[in-house]
Formats: sequence, structure tokens, C-alpha cells
Amino acid sequence: MKAETINTHRGGMWSWLFQRITAVLLIVCLAIHLILTHIANIGQIDMENIGARLANHGLTAVDIILLAAGLYHALNGLRMVLMDYWFSTRSRALALTAGLWVVGLVFLGYGIWALWPWIG
Amino acid sequence: MSSKPRETANVGAGLWKATGMWAWLFFRISGVLLAVYLLAHIIVISTGHFDWLDRLMKAFDNPLMVILDLALVVAVLYHALNGVRVILMDFGIGIHRHKVMFWTAVAVIVICFAVFAYVAFTFIATGAGVNW
Repeated sequence: MKAETINTHRGGMWSWLFQRITAVLLIVCLAIHLILTHIANIGQIDMENIGARLANHGLTAVDIILLAAGLYHALNGLRMVLMDYWFSTRSRALALTAGLWVVGLVFLGYGIWALWPWIG
Repeated sequence: MSSKPRETANVGAGLWKATGMWAWLFFRISGVLLAVYLLAHIIVISTGHFDWLDRLMKAFDNPLMVILDLALVVAVLYHALNGVRVILMDFGIGIHRHKVMFWTAVAVIVICFAVFAYVAFTFIATGAGVNW
């Protein structure tokens, strides 16, 4: 098999590794999230229902992991897609990476801010 | 071949043919959709305006929205199970059984989807969840 068709490291080794680590975290936490929201509480979702679940620190931890791992996985995935197109040159890829880190950290801060009443 | 510009290289696809092509293409499409959904989800759910969110979530309890939710579940299940397949490939598991691996993943997706669909259609029919 030709090397260039199977190179999974185009985005860098750490990006590749963290994409897989966050993938495993997401499978576990997203399964919990979807079973609780789509199956156990279908038709009953409101802020009271959500708040009751967030009172459980374990589930708050699941939500924080979902937030952080989800953002990393989603934005790193978008980065890999976009680098296959216009952002393929080194300088554009660097600008894209920096921009996506800013977006990710802003969303992380926003999400943590919203969860803060149940964290503190 | 490493001098080939990335724009014209056969990017990401590996072998651009047959089942693997569709597996890769749907992985990418579902990934972009889920990324957009995640950002929208975080923006909406984190506003802190509980009254407004309660009214919004009431609006989601109608059949059309439940069907759209099911479509989201399909995207999540496909991306998750195809992702598991990719990670197993990274470990060298199933690299000589690509089609078996893919269709096994599809079988798991169908089984998981059946559970979500059962709950969703029970909700549409009765207005309540399933009493397991």
C-alpha cells in the first residue's frame, strides 16, 4: 500500500492521538447522555429535569467531559476536513488551528459558566 | 509521490472505491453535521434563560421534532460505530476483513437505532416514554 494513501498523521501525532482518546471518552459519556435524554426522559426534558440530574456530581462530571472532549473532537475533526481543502498550506493550516483553539476555548468557557451553579 | 500537492492527492479516502468510499464519505458528512450541531447545542443550552429554554424544549415534544431527533441519533450512531471500526483498524484488528468489520458496525447501528426508534415512536403514539 502506498504510504501517502494511508498517512493518518497529517494533522500531527498529538492531534491524531487526542482525537482517538476523546473519541473513546465521547462514546462512553455520549451513551450516558443519550440514554438519559432520549430514552429515560423523553418528553420530560425541561430545566427542572436537567437540574435534577446535574445535582448528581457524577453526571455533572459526565457533562463537563462531554463539553471538553466534544469540543476538541468536533473542532479537531473540522480542522482535519478543512485542511483537505483551502487550508492545506502550512500558513493557512496554522491560522486555522489558532482560530479553532480560540473558538474552542470560548465555547468551553461559556459551557463551564453555564454549568457553574452545579459545579461550585 | 510525497511531492504531490495535497489539493490533488487522494485525500483522506485511502482507497477511493466501493464500500470504503461510502464509509469515509458518510463519516465526514456526519462529522461536520455533528460539529455544527454541537456548537449550536452549546450556544442554546448554555444561555441560562430557563423560561425561554423550557418553552423551546416543549416545542421539541412534537412528532416532527422527534423524527429530527432520530435523524440526529442516526448521525451519532454512524459516526460512533464507524469511529470504533477506524480505531480497531489502528490496532490492526480486522485489517484483512474490511467488509466484515463495516457490516458488523452497521448491524450494531441498526440494533441501537431500533431501541431509540421504539422509544421515539412510543412517545409519538402515546405521549409518554417506554415503561421498561
